[in-house]
Amino acid sequence: MHILLIEDDARVAEHVRKGLSEAGHIVDHRADGREGLLSAAAERYDVLVVDRMLPNVDGLAIIRTIRASGDHVPVLILSALADVDERVKGLRAGGDDYLTKPFALAELLARVEILGRRGRTAAEPSRIAVADLEIDLLGHHVRRGGQRIDLTNREFRILEYLARNTGRVVTRSMLLENVWDYHFDPQTNIIDQHVSKLRQKIDRDFAAPLLHTVRGTGYVLRGEP
Amino acid sequence: MPAGAPRLWRSLTFRLALLYIGLFAVSVGLLFGVLYWLIIARPMQDMAGRVSAEAAALVATDARDGRPALLAALDRRLRDHGDVKPFHALVAADGRVVSANLPSWPAVPFAGSRRLEADLYSDGDEDDHEALMVDRRLGDGARLLVGRDIEMLDDREELFAGGAAWVVAIAALLAVFGSIAMSAVVARRIDAVGRTARRVMAGNLGERIPVRGTGDDFDDLAETLNRMLDRIEDSMESNRRISDSIAHELRTPLARLHADLDDLAASEPGPAERSRLIGQAVEEARRLQAVFDALLRIARIETGLHDTGVRRIDLSTLLRDAAEFYGPEAEARDQRLTAAIPDGLAIEGDPDLLFQAVSNLLDNAIKYAPVGGQVTLETRRDGARIAVTITDDGPGIAPEHRARVTERFYRAPGTVPAPGIGLGLSLVAAVARLHRAELVIHDGGRGRISLILPVARGA
Repeated sequence: MHILLIEDDARVAEHVRKGLSEAGHIVDHRADGREGLLSAAAERYDVLVVDRMLPNVDGLAIIRTIRASGDHVPVLILSALADVDERVKGLRAGGDDYLTKPFALAELLARVEILGRRGRTAAEPSRIAVADLEIDLLGHHVRRGGQRIDLTNREFRILEYLARNTGRVVTRSMLLENVWDYHFDPQTNIIDQHVSKLRQKIDRDFAAPLLHTVRGTGYVLRGEP
Repeated sequence: MPAGAPRLWRSLTFRLALLYIGLFAVSVGLLFGVLYWLIIARPMQDMAGRVSAEAAALVATDARDGRPALLAALDRRLRDHGDVKPFHALVAADGRVVSANLPSWPAVPFAGSRRLEADLYSDGDEDDHEALMVDRRLGDGARLLVGRDIEMLDDREELFAGGAAWVVAIAALLAVFGSIAMSAVVARRIDAVGRTARRVMAGNLGERIPVRGTGDDFDDLAETLNRMLDRIEDSMESNRRISDSIAHELRTPLARLHADLDDLAASEPGPAERSRLIGQAVEEARRLQAVFDALLRIARIETGLHDTGVRRIDLSTLLRDAAEFYGPEAEARDQRLTAAIPDGLAIEGDPDLLFQAVSNLLDNAIKYAPVGGQVTLETRRDGARIAVTITDDGPGIAPEHRARVTERFYRAPGTVPAPGIGLGLSLVAAVARLHRAELVIHDGGRGRISLILPVARGA
């Protein structure tokens, strides 16, 4: 993917640029708000990664300007402002996702991947199939190998989120933000327990596991090993 | 008052003193006015009425019965004059004085009533009199002056004027000195408050305003302000304690992080040791971040910056979601987590913060309840309040620690240190304060804690 990174801290920028490049992306870096805005307007990027506090033009102002011009490029906001209020402000300005500093590089990569994919997919599917697992998004039914699997509402939402992002790593905080309706800090790794209950239902009685743990990062739903 | 006005004029006590003097002057003036009217002006009016009635009767007598009858009437009047000495003068049209006991009168006739000197001499003694006279013209052009003695009223008037001058002079002196003394007393006591305030501002927080012990208004004020200073001193002290523990809680992981990095740099660790050290360092950084985030969040909640998320919310759903979220955690410890929540509990609140608070309470309950134990989440509506109660069969919090468990980083001594950063209950307490809710830690030898929330308006 072609990614524009607007970040004024040289070390954070280098770290992110290196990580994204190693994951196979092409990264343009701007350290100044005005230059960043000019580049974003001049070229078509797949994803923008924008810091909130920038010299000359503020990050939120960049996003508002881009959105006002009718550009729907996915934007990930990076910010040291961690409060829920600040997050809401960022999303209201037109950001698609919000990541607070400090962050793990794996978290940033996972979020950029998913944002970039969202930019390309067309209509909402009504059913998703991963290997022999079939998920009916409208009827809330799940079958594997033709066999019906009963899930709780929450387990279904976890599976739905993983399935919509099949083949891509989903981090614990992404699950927390997208599956639960509250923005909070659970302190313990309860997400893991919710995922393991889901895994028991969809993987235990079958030879090939579909729900994999990515060490230190999160989970991925994948058909082929 | 413009800033450039003289200091004296800006002083409240000075202005109060002036106001006091002004009011005093107005009331003295009013008192004398009423007195003057009662003892002088009104008797004088009565006398004028009586004199003009007499004059009208005499003029009528002259017109009806002729001059001799008038002279007879005047004579009779002089003889039986009753309480007040009568005066008269009858002057014929040609200027001849027909009859008079008035020593002198103005040559030109006058209208209305007039006060005339009427001193009489008998046996060489002067007898002071003043007469209130009216002047009438008779049918043949003669002039009749009729009047009565008002010497007594005249004397009263003089006495009154003299007395009033003295009284006003003394009253004015009293008012001026009284108000100066009064404002000096008030100013001194205000100054005492100001001096203490300045010393407190200079950093001496132990200073207190002197209390006289008379229980007057200034004592009341001083006691209130002193209590306020006590509260501020307490909260400064607790702030100091909190910043000490914050420093400790942040420095410890920082020191460990530093040690791990030092070890990595100094020795040449094998791959296994290397990844162990790096893992530890990342874990310490994560812990630092968690402490930092929680502290900032509490600070924001406490300063009221975090009130944009407050809206009407369905507490029933929120509590069920929280119980559902912690279900697997309780299951992993073989505990039974039960939640009996009725439908339709509505409150005004911030859903994210309330969810966080209930999460922290459930997290504690699950942590401290024994393996295979029981955790209950229940609600009870009591009038305009909803109590959300979480009970576990763990040991609970000993009474002597209850007051302090909501302090940042406070861990009850002697308890098994559970994993966590020691800010869970502080955050719950902050969220409770933001929602005007009460956090109650119950007795009974087991863990039982309630968050008592006000219900939404109209719910």
